[in-house]
Amino acid sequence: MRPSFFHHLHPPTIPSPQARWRYTLGAGGMAFFLTLVLILTGALEAFYYLPSPQEAPQSIQTITYLVPYGALLRNLHFWSAQLLVLVSGLHLLRVIFTGAYTPPRRFNYWLGLAAFVLILFLDFTGYALRWDSGVHWALVAGTNLLKKIPFIGQALYIAAVGGSQIGNATLVRFYGWHIFGLTLMIVILIAWHIFRVRRDGGVAVPPPDRRQSPERISRFELVRREALAALLLGAGLVLLSAFVPAPIGGPIIPGASVVEARAPWFFLWVQQLLKWGDPFIFGALIPLLALALLAAVPYIAPVKPEELGSWLPPSGRLAQAITAVIGLAIVILSLMAWLPV
Amino acid sequence: MKSLAFPLACLALLAALLGAAWQQSRTPKPVALIPTLTGQVEYCLTCHGDVPEISPSHPVKTFGCVICHGGERLALDKTIAHSTMRGGANPSDLQFVEASCGGTNCHSGAADLHNDHIPRVLSSLQATYAGAVANVLYTFGAQNDLLAHLSAAPLPPSNGKSLPALNPSTETSPQVLAFAQNCLNCHLQAQPRPGVEYSRFTGCSACHTPTAGIDLASTNRPVIHKLTTAISYTQCNTCHNRGNYDLVKMQFVPRQDHPADRLNDYYQPIAQFTRCEWTLDCIDCHTSGEAMGDGLFHNTKKEAQYVRCQTCHGTIDQLPLTKTITDPDDLALRLSFLNPVIDLKVGDTILVTDKGEPLWNTRMLPDGTYELFDKATGQRFTFRPVKGSACQQKADEQSSAACHACHSVER
Repeated sequence: MRPSFFHHLHPPTIPSPQARWRYTLGAGGMAFFLTLVLILTGALEAFYYLPSPQEAPQSIQTITYLVPYGALLRNLHFWSAQLLVLVSGLHLLRVIFTGAYTPPRRFNYWLGLAAFVLILFLDFTGYALRWDSGVHWALVAGTNLLKKIPFIGQALYIAAVGGSQIGNATLVRFYGWHIFGLTLMIVILIAWHIFRVRRDGGVAVPPPDRRQSPERISRFELVRREALAALLLGAGLVLLSAFVPAPIGGPIIPGASVVEARAPWFFLWVQQLLKWGDPFIFGALIPLLALALLAAVPYIAPVKPEELGSWLPPSGRLAQAITAVIGLAIVILSLMAWLPV
Repeated sequence: MKSLAFPLACLALLAALLGAAWQQSRTPKPVALIPTLTGQVEYCLTCHGDVPEISPSHPVKTFGCVICHGGERLALDKTIAHSTMRGGANPSDLQFVEASCGGTNCHSGAADLHNDHIPRVLSSLQATYAGAVANVLYTFGAQNDLLAHLSAAPLPPSNGKSLPALNPSTETSPQVLAFAQNCLNCHLQAQPRPGVEYSRFTGCSACHTPTAGIDLASTNRPVIHKLTTAISYTQCNTCHNRGNYDLVKMQFVPRQDHPADRLNDYYQPIAQFTRCEWTLDCIDCHTSGEAMGDGLFHNTKKEAQYVRCQTCHGTIDQLPLTKTITDPDDLALRLSFLNPVIDLKVGDTILVTDKGEPLWNTRMLPDGTYELFDKATGQRFTFRPVKGSACQQKADEQSSAACHACHSVER
């Protein structure tokens, strides 16, 4: 069989043990598939969405209730975005817990980490675009947090909000960032990330003499597996989106009491931290420190080449421990914010 | 197995897509309405197609639903669709009435007083209850005069003016406090007391939506979507004639009976009344200026209520005031158009009050007598002027008690 365009995007062969689901979890591939779904569904939503505070909730109601299959489309966009946070988080954990951040993949690890941060921003801006009573609190709290950053806080706030308070300009800015600025950045980052995967020698593997098996799979098998994963994930997504609606709320009524004083789920841990003290320290500095620690992992515990290609390499223990602590803390903090006190 | 995986995955996706199509087929078909007044599509009728039209003056094709009720016109989810409604099921509640019913083409901001309905109601004693508040405060030493300074509840301003609300938490007199707590449930802004005999909504709907005798708390009651100017005495009775205030205990003492026979048990035992007071409906005599307000903050009911026996019957010296309709846009013609119990025309002569309000359901007959059509039932009555009759009542003694001396009904 002659390789097609899609086959040519893949290396001719890759080592068989490292092509297994249980090694890669397929997380990077799933994240890529979800990104494609997001771009496609987002582009379709853009035909109906009206970026103004008065019209945004109505246009979302139009998509949700009146456009044939509009609810499915919106739910697909929503669920893909939520899953993308989980799947790219999983991908990050896989990379750390297999030591794949070690040079020569260190730079690509940072590219991936940056993409993960962008995904969080994309999720938050997308969440805010609902512009309904369900997101109002998080929008106000999130942007006010910017003000607490010393020296540059006020400028950051004005840059994000487009004025002294949330209004028309805020929505247009969030819209611009969501559909253009952040999307363009993440598309470039993902393309670079995938290019670097091949440039750095594919999925992290031990040196040839340390491999358990010399077997390799062809690009045809690889594409077949990817297509299989895409089909199954697509089926799951469609099913989820057909029956579990994305959240929607009534319009924001100025002066009305807050309907839902809760951050979106992926920032619940920050909300919990904010309850404990100074907004700058707990809301910005601690999350940034956690991110910096993750970024420093390639220096903290570089993994020996012969230990690559399998889970939990011993020379990466410190990195694994740091990540486990950060991950557990995020889960526990999120649960604390989510569960009724 | 390997060769089956791909077709099976395709089947899974197909099944999921079929599931999505099935789910889409289950969603209700949106029913669109584009009211001519707003020109904006609304989908309320998807669920509310069975609600009857509220009145011939508010056809749904012209008004739609949202212009009065608010709400999210595009949402097909109950919670979201209803999230921005004004006043729940009753947008005429006085807190929302300006947004729901106001506007210069509607019920506020009109150049002529009569059509300035909302400011009239907001200043009226029905809304402020200010006369009773002033009397009680004066009686118990909480104010020095009998003038209306406070209203029973916070109200939006009427043409820029409003009375501050009586605030029970700042009252020191136990009687005034008890009054504030026990006696303020009859004005238009108050929720009615529990019980089917008090069954009414708030705001405009208190009078204009017929609820008398319907248990509003019942979950299986019919939808009451009606506005009318043909207001029966039974609707007035949801506030009036329901019992007495005990000024010692500062409590409302509701009457225990449920008056069914209007002649024998409607009025309380000590009351004197004439035939027209139990055969006609309240609004046949009491004009809209009296009942709905005239834009002034009156101090007492006595100031606001001015229609007397002589308004229709005159005195031994004078015939009642009349007016011959010449303008095809005359207020009397417009009002009779809204409630067509009488076929009033240009050239007809009708009775008018001494403030000039038309008694548009009356007409002078060629023989010098008059006819009146009951606004609620359409029933025709005829009556004569006092002048030329055997009545000897002095022209300057025209209180109701003076007329009742001869004309009260025995029961």
